[in-house]
Formats: sequence, C-alpha cells, structure tokens
Amino acid sequence: MSKILIVAEVKNSEIKKNTLELISFAKSKGLEMDAVLCGSGVFGQADVLAGQGASTVYLGDDSSLEIYNTEQYTSLVTDALQQSGATQVWLSSSELGRDLTPRVAARQGVGALSDVTQFEVNGDEITAQRPCMSTKVIQKCQFSKDGLRVISIRSGFFAPEETTPVPAKTVSLSIPEGHKQLKVKEVQAEVSDEVELNEASIIVSAGRGVGGPEGCDFVKPLATELGAAFGASRAVCDAGWLPHKHQVGQTGTMVTPDFYFALGISGAIQHLAGMSGSKVIVAVNKDPDAPIFKVADYGIVGDLFKAVPVLREEVAKIKT
Amino acid sequence: MEIIVAIKQVPDVALNIKVKDGAVVEEGLSYVISSWDETALEAALQITEDVGGEVTLLTIGPDKAAESLRKGLAMGAHKAIHVKYDDAKKTDSFAYAKILQKVLEGREYDLILTGKQSQDTDAGLTAPMLAEFLDLPQVTNIIRYSDVSAQNITLYRQGDNATEVLEMQLPGIVTVNDSLNEPRLASMRGIMMAKKKPLEEVDLDALGVSAEMRGAQGSMTEVLQFEKPESRKEGKIFEGDEADTVKQAMELLVSEKKFLA
Ligand SMILES: Cc1cc2nc3c(=O)[nH]c(=O)nc-3n(C[C@H](O)[C@H](O)[C@H](O)COP(=O)(O)OP(=O)(O)OC[C@H]3O[C@@H](n4cnc5c(N)ncnc54)[C@H](O)[C@@H]3O)c2cc1C
Ligand SMILES: Nc1ncnc2c1ncn2[C@@H]1O[C@H](COP(=O)(O)O)[C@@H](O)[C@H]1O
Repeated sequence: MSKILIVAEVKNSEIKKNTLELISFAKSKGLEMDAVLCGSGVFGQADVLAGQGASTVYLGDDSSLEIYNTEQYTSLVTDALQQSGATQVWLSSSELGRDLTPRVAARQGVGALSDVTQFEVNGDEITAQRPCMSTKVIQKCQFSKDGLRVISIRSGFFAPEETTPVPAKTVSLSIPEGHKQLKVKEVQAEVSDEVELNEASIIVSAGRGVGGPEGCDFVKPLATELGAAFGASRAVCDAGWLPHKHQVGQTGTMVTPDFYFALGISGAIQHLAGMSGSKVIVAVNKDPDAPIFKVADYGIVGDLFKAVPVLREEVAKIKT
Repeated sequence: MEIIVAIKQVPDVALNIKVKDGAVVEEGLSYVISSWDETALEAALQITEDVGGEVTLLTIGPDKAAESLRKGLAMGAHKAIHVKYDDAKKTDSFAYAKILQKVLEGREYDLILTGKQSQDTDAGLTAPMLAEFLDLPQVTNIIRYSDVSAQNITLYRQGDNATEVLEMQLPGIVTVNDSLNEPRLASMRGIMMAKKKPLEEVDLDALGVSAEMRGAQGSMTEVLQFEKPESRKEGKIFEGDEADTVKQAMELLVSEKKFLA
C-alpha cells in the first residue's frame, strides 16, 4: 500500500499554503497520508492538517526547532517516516524544502525529484515534470528503482480546498540533537508578514523602470493590497533598491504564480526564465517593443507611475 | 584552508536550447562552468586570498570537461581533479554524489563549496546528498560569509523569510547563491599559468566505482523525455491613456481569468 508523508511548513504560526496544496492534492487523489510538523509551539496546527485529511500528525515541537536546521529536521522526518511506514515523502520546494529534500533522500539511500511543477501519482509510480536549463526545457522524469519516493513540489500547482480543523491524531517525536558542528548564531528576520515568492499565487514585480527605492515604495502597496509577494528584477536588487531575496529569475527565485505583474521590467531572457511559467502575465512598460510583451497575456504600453494608481483603484473596486 | 570546489561543465543556458524527439539537440551547444559553481570558485579564491590555503577544482565529466578545469585554474584555482566519465546523459544527482563521495574519501579538505544547483539540471540535490554520504554538516544557499578561520566559518543562509546566520565548524559543505559575488575573469597571465598547474586525472576503475554505480545503473531517477515549454499564446496589447487601458485590462483579467474571484 502506498502512503504519503507530507512535510508541513509553518509561518507565523500558520500552516503555509504550499503545505495545504500538497495535502489537498493528495486528498483529491484519494491517497492515504500522514504529516510531520516541526517547529516551536506548532502543535495547535496539527488540527489544520487533520482537517485537510492527514491521518496521523507526527509532531516535533520544541524551542530548538524554531529555526529550521538540516540535522534535526532530517532526523525528525526520518523518525516520522519509520513510524508511519510511508512509501513517499512530499515536501514543498521552499528554501526549507530545497535544503531538506536531498538530505532526507540520501539518509534513506534513495534519489529525489526536486522542484517539480506537475506530477501524476499511480501507487508509488510517479511521473513528474520539472523545468530545467533555466526553464528553457521541461523534463519529464520518474524514479527508476524501487524504494521510497522523495519529491519536492513548487507551489502553485494545485488550489487547496478550504477545510475546517478537526482534532488530530498526533504522535510526539523525541527531539533529536542538532549537528554538533553547526550553531545558529542569529536570525535576521525581515518584515515577516510579507508573502514569500515561493508560495505566492500573485506576484507584483518591480523593474528598473521604477527608477529607484522610492519607486519600489510606490509600487509596493499594490502588492500588499493584493496579498501578493513583492518581486523584482536583478537590476533592482543589484542597485540595492530591494534585498536580493526579492529577485525573480534564472539566478533568483523561479516562480509560477497564477498572476504575475511585471512593472517596468524589460523582460530579459534571465528574468523570463524565472517567471514565464506563470499562468497569467500582466506587463506595464512604456516601451512597446519591450520583450516582456512577448510573454504577457495583457500588455499595457504606458507609464507605470500612471498605471499603478489605476491598478490600485481597480483592485479596490473588485474587492468590494 | 584547503577548499574543494565541485564544478560541473554544462551547456550554456543563455543560448537557445533546442529539443528534438524528446532530447536536447547537442549541435550548437556551447559548454561552460555552471554559473553558480563559478560563484563558489570565486568565494573559494577570496577565502584563500584572505586566510591562505589552496583551492582544488573537482569535476566528474568527459574529456572536454578539462577545458572548464583549465578555465577555473586560469581564474586562480591551484590544482584540479578530473574524474573521467562518459555516462553523463543518464546520471542523476544521486549517482554524482556517490561518485564524489568515492573521490573525496581519504582526501584532505576543510571546506567543500558548490553551486546551489547546477545550471543544466536545476536540481540542487548533489551537495546535500554528498554531505550526508560524507557525514558532514551542510549550509545551503548562502548569500554572505564572515569570520573565516582555520576551524570555523560564519555563513549567512537565505532562508524562506529570514537570513539565518550559522557558525560552522570545519570540515563542511556549503552551497552558494549567485548574489554572493561577481566571479572574476581570467587574466592573460592566469591563462598562461594555468597550463602549468597540476591537473590530476582519475580513472573510475582505479577509484573503485563499479559499473553498478555509473550512469542509469547508479541513478535513482531518469529523464523520460525533454520538451520545450508550451509557448505562450499571443497576448492583448493596450495602448493609450493609462486610465482607460488599465481599466480595460483589469476587466478582462476578471472576466477571462477569474482574477481575485
Ligand atoms: C548570468 C546572468 C544572470 C541573470 N539573472 C537574472 C535574474 O535572475 N533575474 C533578472 O531579473 N535578471 C537577471 N539578469 C539580468 C538581466 O539580463 C537584465 O539585465 C535585468 O533583468 C534587467 O532588469 P530590468 O528589466 O528591471 O531593467 P531594464 O532592462 O533596464 O528595463 C527597464 C524597463 O523599464 C521600462 N521603463 C522605464 N521607465 C518606465 C516607466 N516610467 N513606466 C513603465 N516602464 C518603464 C523600460 O522601457 C525598460 O523596458 C541576469 C544577467 C546575467 C548575465
Ligand atoms: N559531474 C559533476 N562534477 C562535479 N560537481 C558536480 C557534478 N554534478 C553536480 N556537481 C556539483 O553539485 C552541484 C549541484 O548539482 P545538481 O544536483 O545537478 O543541481 C553543482 O553545482 C556542482 O557543484
């Protein structure tokens, strides 16, 4: 019997959307699943996972787990895996998932498929699609040996169902040691109510066309009002107008949101590599020949400083 | 400080990539050091310039991968190890990590640096797998480092919503984000000097890498086929006064694409 173990992620004491997507998808396929939930003070979230369909929630709840660290999390997932008897582990390809996926797989002596954007499950047969070579090519791939399946999945591939929490069946895991060679010194948290690029269903991105840090401030309220993540081109990050974690593209974050707004972005190939998989692209650029218009579903030729206020008005109207 | 930089020679993804019959067309590809690996090499060079030590390049690849090693030597690496390997097509990150483990066991190093992912696979799996096989600590996706000594390094990892600052006791494995630095170009002098630098060739049999560890046999995953992403349908372009065009576009966004529905 195949069974899935979902590695849940929490942010600001709430289960992240990418985790809900995974559970909701598994449930829609009628698959049996457990979840493993690690963090500090996160036990209350187990009921959310149960509400979504997790049979058993394995809990690693300890102050030492507040900040992600490879060793403890790998041990906890491994422990949950053994207890649950799962045949597959699903993670999201967040920065946490990117770090954890290969380590969990290697500890089990198996391979992994990472940063998958679409997949089909048939028992323990998985056929996955994943972009590679800067999204210029899509690989269709699968596991070629028997054994545990470990995959990490990019957010935005499935719309999670709204559910209500139900009391979870939980199993508390014993808390393992961290790696003795690693010590967390501090965490430099940035404004943490920001939506992350990796889990956003809407992204609003600023390019050099915003003209400077003030331009970023001018655009940002649109992102906030949309509940969107705030992205940027490399030009903006290199100029220091926004921190690098906002960079979308070949060497930034690869994103596939439902809606991508490109404001004052020319659409260089390295930027397109990171966002051309978005479901719908809206671009505002004053240059009618900007390459971004080649990928835009809706291309507005015009000045972003005039367009953004209208966008905000329209959003306010739609929302009421 | 002895630093090993694992570099992979990959097709230049800045160029047009063609696909035919489910495979990437070889013709017209040009091969380079994966860009994140160059960032890793630059970091290694800066660290050894600061605290002393040597940088060793390590690649598993066919004969032509030697060009990438020469380029890395020209940038300033001190020596290179070339593990000769012709099964690249069917080899996944797991198999590479296993072979890297074989190469590295019994060698001396303080730090292994790699790219956060390679430019051809975009997988990001090899380094943490290697870390597990060598039983080493890992810190991935670093955007900065500081306080380097012979025993320790402080690493700034870009996590999901914070920069995590970790102190790592060496030896360990670190993968780099490209925002770490701007890799240098090789100078003429560097290119001349590279020719005289040691380039060790390693044979898989001598290393004890059995046939079961190579290519498809040694891999846990396989690519069934490559496809071009669906090209996007031509979009609608709006020109004119922003007050009108934005409104029109937003109306369509709502009616055609269920925006904010
Ligand atoms: C190895 C490598 C990796 C790279 N990786 C990335 C990456 O990951 N992500 C990335 O984004 N880039 C990346 N780049 C850089 C990329 O090539 C471009 O330089 C960058 O994307 C350009 O950013 P931009 O579109 O904001 O700026 P520009 O190309 O300068 O474009 C600015 C645009 O704004 C428009 N504009 C100006 N004023 C206004 C206005 N008032 N209203 C409306 N429009 C206006 C202009 O018409 C122009 O089209 C990489 C480059 C290299 C070499
Ligand atoms: N054949 C190889 N030779 C040397 N290093 C490699 C090889 N394959 C992968 N690596 C290293 O592992 C990193 C991640 O690779 P990947 O798992 O393919 O994303 C690369 O950036 C390299 O540093």
